[in-house]
Amino acid sequence: MEFLSNLDALYFVLILAGTLIGIIFGAIPGMTATMAVAVCLPLTYALDLNHGLALLLGLYVGGISGGLVPAILLNIPGTPSSITTTFDGYPMTQKGEGERALKVAIVSSLFGGLLSAAVLFSFAPLLADFAIKFSYVEKFLIILLALTVIASLSKNLLMGLLSALIGIWLALIGTYSVEVGGNGDMRLMMPFMEEFLYDGFSLLPVLIGLFGVAHILEEAEKGIHETHTDMKDALKNSLPFSFSVFRNQKTNLVRSGFLGTFIGMLPGVGGSAASVLAYTQEKNFSRHPEKMGKGAPEGVVASEAANNGLTGGALIPLLSLGIPGDSTTAVLIGAFTLQGVQVGPLFIGENVDTWNTMMVGLLAANIAMFVVMFFAIKHIAKVVMVPKHILYPIIMMMCVVGAYAINYGVMFDVWTLLLFGIGGYLASKIGIEVAPLVIGFILGGQAEVYFVKSLESFGTLTIFFTKSPIAVVLWLLIAISVGFSIYQASKAGRAKRDTDA
Amino acid sequence: MGNLLPGSGEPLRPAWELAMPELFTVTIDFEQSHLFFPHIIHWMLLLMVVLILVFEAPAYLRRLRAGHVSLPFTRGPFDAVRFMGTLLLTVVYFLTMPWVGDFFPNTGLGFLIVSIPYMAALSLLYLHDRSLRQVFLVVLNAVIAPVVAWLVLAKLFAITLP
Repeated sequence: MEFLSNLDALYFVLILAGTLIGIIFGAIPGMTATMAVAVCLPLTYALDLNHGLALLLGLYVGGISGGLVPAILLNIPGTPSSITTTFDGYPMTQKGEGERALKVAIVSSLFGGLLSAAVLFSFAPLLADFAIKFSYVEKFLIILLALTVIASLSKNLLMGLLSALIGIWLALIGTYSVEVGGNGDMRLMMPFMEEFLYDGFSLLPVLIGLFGVAHILEEAEKGIHETHTDMKDALKNSLPFSFSVFRNQKTNLVRSGFLGTFIGMLPGVGGSAASVLAYTQEKNFSRHPEKMGKGAPEGVVASEAANNGLTGGALIPLLSLGIPGDSTTAVLIGAFTLQGVQVGPLFIGENVDTWNTMMVGLLAANIAMFVVMFFAIKHIAKVVMVPKHILYPIIMMMCVVGAYAINYGVMFDVWTLLLFGIGGYLASKIGIEVAPLVIGFILGGQAEVYFVKSLESFGTLTIFFTKSPIAVVLWLLIAISVGFSIYQASKAGRAKRDTDA
Repeated sequence: MGNLLPGSGEPLRPAWELAMPELFTVTIDFEQSHLFFPHIIHWMLLLMVVLILVFEAPAYLRRLRAGHVSLPFTRGPFDAVRFMGTLLLTVVYFLTMPWVGDFFPNTGLGFLIVSIPYMAALSLLYLHDRSLRQVFLVVLNAVIAPVVAWLVLAKLFAITLP
């Protein structure tokens, strides 16, 4: 129980602050939980690991939850994961049940968050114990699986794979470090770049550039127009909220929460997939499917329980395998690295106190989210009205701080920010997807070491198939994810031809 | 290289490998090992580009000709002033920050002094309704935000700033 000494007053203050900032970020349309975590990272530089994690977990939970506010009140999803919340949330607002819809969503979010935290707590150590026995061969195959899954869930399998490969390529720039058994030589760069790129691109400036600067460039291109009308009007004529709404929603809550958690575990799959799946399942099982989309509370329940279920789910592969479950946890990996902590199968076993502290933090963040949103929802709805011309310059400034301070004052990291901001903006134009690219970038270096070292030891390519039964299972899973993607694409292609005809 | 893989015994060799062992055998020259994986990635990238050209390009061109899609960079509105202005201001911001910072080493004042005009300029660029009241709010924000950031980060948390 030594971890209890980590739980001081500052710890909970940071969780509350993180949750509040996260909710505000999530509630502002176009700002995501990933941005909240990326932009607020510099605040953690001066904190120790536990306190830094408190702030980041709060930001994560708050950022995912905040998206429900504009989704319900304005029909604009605050984050991609609250798209399905608009389907029934906004019709409820139009019927004068705005506040009721918000509270239904908040309670469902809390349930989804707590359920996924419970799954994380019981499942991650088991997975980690299992993964400890993995040799470099299995570790390489796990990365290959992660990249295939995320590519196969992209809009286009081939573009997804190309994006992941570009991410890996970017990760290889720099030195093949002696620390991981390399020969210490540099590759993939011109002589004049060696001074800056000896260690390759730093992870966090790359992430902040791709998620922060690129977004602002996209908005600047469109002319920075305000999207929201007045939120205060949307909260008028509220029909009172009562917990009896949930009487028939127990199955829906549990199913959606588990779906969200499960989708969260798949690497690189964002919250939108989780909530869309939970929403369609609820529609399939509902006794009154005709009411869905016209202001049925069960639609809001399904969507919000699923997207908060994502939080715990996405942390499972991060903490047990070192593979981020979504782009927000990708930024969290950066925060761990910053604190000198290597996440992977050994993390939980070697850092039991940190692990327990994190779990308390995740619970506390969910509760803080509930309390803040349930009782202060009207005030939050007003804060969200911050105009973009005020907000975006602040974000640019915070991006610069984050990039500059990450390696204690390297100006090249700030230029990296701009480089990847422009790169991310251009990439999205030609169909390259950021999520597989980022995961490829994060895992590329490890993939190289596991692959090359396996071959150096065994001297044959067949080792990747014959090393152990787990390797065979992993290949099967890789084949299934590719097969699934091809099947989906051909189904979509047929549907398209049918509509064209 | 020693055997780096924990718990790895001699794996079973499948029949097809026993039949043609040299086909799957790989030896990596340590001196050149830093290029081994990048080479594979280059070939994979090339393969992906070829696959995309073969499988995706014809359908894309058909849709392009039918007018269902438009070429990248040609669709939607393009606010050249705000887009290029953002880039230009940001480049100037990044260039001047360390330069000003060198006059006041280790204080973070370079960040503070340059951020105020940058934020004011960027806000004004993004502002659509440039009334006196709005401009006042913009300038107020451009002064307060960097000062607060500087006080909290550089002074309170002792974080390195330019």
